[in-house]
Amino acid sequence: MEARALTHRYGHRPVLDQLSFAFQGPGVVAVRGPNGSGKSTLIRVLAGLLRTSGGETTLHVDGRATPSRNRQRWIGYAGPDLSFYPEFTALENLTFAAEARGLARPAERSRERLEKVGLAARGGERVHALSSGMAQRLRLAFALLDDPPLLLLDEPGNHLDDEGRQALATLIREEGTRRLVMIATNDEREGALAGQRVELGTRGLGDPA
Amino acid sequence: MPASGSSSGRAVWAILRKECRSEWRTRYGLNAALLFAVTSLASTSFAVGRMSDRPDVLAALLWVVLLFAALASLAHTFVRETEGHTMVLMRLVASPTAIAMGKLIFNLLFLVSIELVTLPLFLAFMGAPPPRWGALLAILALANVALAAAATLVAAVIAQTRGRGALFAGVSFPVLLPVLAAAVSGTRAQWSGAPVGAELRLLAAYAVALLAASLLLYDHLWEDA
Amino acid sequence: MIGRALLLLWIAAWIVAAFVWAPLVPVLGETTRVLYFHIPAAWVTVLALGWSMIHSLLYLKRRNLEHDHQAAAAAEIGLMFCVVATVSGALWAKAMWGAYWNWDPRETSIFFLLLIYAAYLALRSAIDQPERRARLAAVYSAIAFVSVPFLIFVVPRIYFSLHPDPIINPRGKVDMDPRIRVVFFALLLGFTGLYFWVQSLRVRVARVEHRMEERRGSGNVG
Repeated sequence: MEARALTHRYGHRPVLDQLSFAFQGPGVVAVRGPNGSGKSTLIRVLAGLLRTSGGETTLHVDGRATPSRNRQRWIGYAGPDLSFYPEFTALENLTFAAEARGLARPAERSRERLEKVGLAARGGERVHALSSGMAQRLRLAFALLDDPPLLLLDEPGNHLDDEGRQALATLIREEGTRRLVMIATNDEREGALAGQRVELGTRGLGDPA
Repeated sequence: MPASGSSSGRAVWAILRKECRSEWRTRYGLNAALLFAVTSLASTSFAVGRMSDRPDVLAALLWVVLLFAALASLAHTFVRETEGHTMVLMRLVASPTAIAMGKLIFNLLFLVSIELVTLPLFLAFMGAPPPRWGALLAILALANVALAAAATLVAAVIAQTRGRGALFAGVSFPVLLPVLAAAVSGTRAQWSGAPVGAELRLLAAYAVALLAASLLLYDHLWEDA
Repeated sequence: MIGRALLLLWIAAWIVAAFVWAPLVPVLGETTRVLYFHIPAAWVTVLALGWSMIHSLLYLKRRNLEHDHQAAAAAEIGLMFCVVATVSGALWAKAMWGAYWNWDPRETSIFFLLLIYAAYLALRSAIDQPERRARLAAVYSAIAFVSVPFLIFVVPRIYFSLHPDPIINPRGKVDMDPRIRVVFFALLLGFTGLYFWVQSLRVRVARVEHRMEERRGSGNVG
């Protein structure tokens, strides 16, 4: 994943300013910075969810640059803004995602992912009945759905209890050996898993000092 | 990794099925729309009575009822996504065009469902003369496509605003006006025994133009500025 | 500065000429005078719409907010001129044909343009972020761009058949007397100049507003 001179504003407030970096997988990269420094924004830009006001990002897979139009195909994203359909079960949501993406064996694959994040027993429950911790696990299952070369996780430890966070750490370590994982986090434990870092400064509101 | 061409079609199909299943589970939109259509029909019938000898008025009333039902309900597909914050999920699994086409086809089926109930009731209540079914169904079919194309596109725009549903009727009306005019004209013509070719051509052309514009415009709609 | 003053003089002079110098068209009588204002206003409405739509498309292509300023300004000014054209048209219709509104093809078209302008501005007012507002407004502009030619063609079809006695539009015959033609085109030119002047003013205000927002946003809040 390569970024060049990324600039972004939120309304009239500049959030990212001429940011550049290049990372190669497999490995884990932590994006750190105080609140409001643009961690989520950066992750969303890399995921192709947000269009920047300036600069560009390029994702290279197997040595070739992928068109930014198709970014979604190569990444797995899990962030607080990802919500699921409350009237469908966890399994149905994942199966829908897999079908829409044209993945093989959608239902089976979804079940496997649910198992991986410890939600196998809850697969048949409607999403509106899930606790926030379970919803967070569902997000992780979604991100892993088609084994993407780049995993983008925004605050993955949110809402998880200790057991969950342990499992998450294991998951990140494991995935980090297979693909490039970029995490936006302020959590020390998660940050420690990372081999490399992006430190974002204190632009915008909320300078904690 | 999935192949590009076929995955678009699969995405559209998956989205269409999701919309149908969602509608079936909540039954929120269809009930409201049917109620709305039947209520406006009843009010109209109550106010003007039978209009067997006025095909021009009948044509206008039919389309006003259908238009109102459409305006009251076609924005739901996108407004629900926005309010449920599920657009991120959508955008991560399908291209903007696939999302649009899936919802467009759903809106089309939705319109047809409303008309299946409303049209016979209308013909009965208003004492309408028997229609030339070939012509009338052709007009309905093409008008539905144009309506769905326009409404889905406008709905995608207003779902991202503060006004949402309230804005939909006002903002979509100018765009729907050509459909309304051509449909009324054609419906009147089929009752008067006149040919409807020109209206059909106009509806078809408008539908095609809207679909072509859609293909270009949907890519710009969800950059989440 | 000189240009603006000259423009004002130009318009003023030709307005006076419209009342004292140009003759009346026999069919129209005193109402002839309306055409000097009504038609240029309608022309500016269309001009502004075109300007707005072109800049909307340019914004989508280039993402430069300047295009959005132009499109929005054109829409506001276009709306004003559209109201002028509609009202003056209605007054003229009352004087000529006895009714303010007849759904005559021209009246319907101008009403339709009014609706488009109003919808566009309503849409804009419902979005707070500048980039999103610019983008969504531009998309709507493009949709409206598709619908305009259809309404121009649909309207004559449906309403000429509803009104089998066509309401003869005398405007076509007006440009006969050379003096009338001169005043008319002079004022047409004047109105066009007026439009571009107001347009540039409005765009300058928009730029300043934008810069103020930026400063307020990025500045010292903490």
